[in-house]
Amino acid sequence: MHEQELIEKIAFNVVQGRIEAEDEGFDEGLDGQPAVTELLREALERGLDPRPIVIEGLSKGMEVVGGKFQREEYLIPDMLASAECVGAAMDILSPHLTKAGVESRGKFVIATVAGDLHDIGKNIVSIMLKGAGYEVIDLGADVPTERIVKAVSEYQASFLGLSALLTTTMRVMGEVIEELQKAGLREDIKVLVGGAPTSEGFAKQIGADAYCKDAFQAIDVLKNMSSG
Amino acid sequence: MIIIGEKINATIPKVRVIIRQRDKEALLELTKRQATAGADYIDINVGTGVGSQEDEIRAMQWAVQTIQREVDTALCIDSADPAVLEAALDARNGRPTLINSTKAEKSSLEKVVPLAKSYNVPLVALSMDETGVPSSVEDRIRACKNIARVCEKYGVLLESVFFDPLVLPISTDVNQGLVTLYTLMKVKETLPMAKTIVGLSNISYGLPARARLNTAFLQMAIFTGLDATIMDPLDKELMDAVKTAYVLLGKDRHCRGYIRAFRGG
Repeated sequence: MHEQELIEKIAFNVVQGRIEAEDEGFDEGLDGQPAVTELLREALERGLDPRPIVIEGLSKGMEVVGGKFQREEYLIPDMLASAECVGAAMDILSPHLTKAGVESRGKFVIATVAGDLHDIGKNIVSIMLKGAGYEVIDLGADVPTERIVKAVSEYQASFLGLSALLTTTMRVMGEVIEELQKAGLREDIKVLVGGAPTSEGFAKQIGADAYCKDAFQAIDVLKNMSSG
Repeated sequence: MIIIGEKINATIPKVRVIIRQRDKEALLELTKRQATAGADYIDINVGTGVGSQEDEIRAMQWAVQTIQREVDTALCIDSADPAVLEAALDARNGRPTLINSTKAEKSSLEKVVPLAKSYNVPLVALSMDETGVPSSVEDRIRACKNIARVCEKYGVLLESVFFDPLVLPISTDVNQGLVTLYTLMKVKETLPMAKTIVGLSNISYGLPARARLNTAFLQMAIFTGLDATIMDPLDKELMDAVKTAYVLLGKDRHCRGYIRAFRGG
């Protein structure tokens, strides 16, 4: 198999959401064929540069998934299967990327704010960001404001993602931003907010840097932030 | 099966308007339709999330008083705030009422369980604690046992406690259906006097043909000995699924209920 063909196959299997050869994909009849793990091993054995694998294999694959999800061709489980593929691939690739001198795209602290126990959406974003090459520090759900501020400072994070699913807890996001300001950390961090009751307008009102409708939008927003 | 009608819930935009505008006719219409369809309790959740505690208390008092003047069905007062629950208990004129709910969290338990005792009413207890909804059966049972201990301390009998093992979407974790079912079984095994309850619809979140999943899951839960469910009583498929599961599980003597419902069908 040609190198380019191998990378395209990896992207195809990310879209299909197949980690190992035995996995079924979104389409029928793929089980038994080499999947992301097997293809990656082959690529590494052949000494392929890990960077194009990430960019053209994993990221491109997830872009396709994002489009399909937005068109409602893909449902939540389809998207998660693909995200898991990227997670598994990154586990295999990480040591090789470090060896090649590739750094993560930045540290991203993520949490559901105090008083709110909803973590499903936050977890999806967390998986997707890992797949997109960020170093994710996931603090969990119902995280007190002080702990969020402390983590931002300790990890010297570049990004903070805040989630809330309740109209009663979304205002805590504003408090987190105020506390970051008081601690003198606001200048150095981009704050992204999301969750069912939040909106573009709400993000502006509390002084966040961006509102993200879903995980894919978060990745788009981050891309624009680092290029702009 | 005890059916708790879920439709009066202010997280639904249309209902939020009814509560805000104190639309008595619309509130009663929603109540009566559920009662006629076979609801044993009418759930009342007026928490719109934006207003103050005072607002929620006033809205709850209005809803309880409006409903009990016109409809005989028992009430299920639904709030995470013990003060709102207490206001609702005071607003009713002795109408049978179910408290919905307490969590296995100290701040919630120590306020809500004493209410169940002093007003002598049953209560719904959620198997979640400070850390959220545990993802394993063991941790959910641990939460239930913590609740049972506090109930014992205040002298609330487990016969009048409905344990809710909680339901998470299978679209994000395909094992969650099993976790709920095994928790239901384990509650019956470890706390045999206790009752069980589930809210169904979360199981199918994010998937197509949700009614299929809701019906199948309800029938499986009934097999584990489910006592009550929070659901839409106007959903005929679901109501029929209850009757069908009951007869199949030998809970419908001489198939009377089943035949009465489906004779000629």
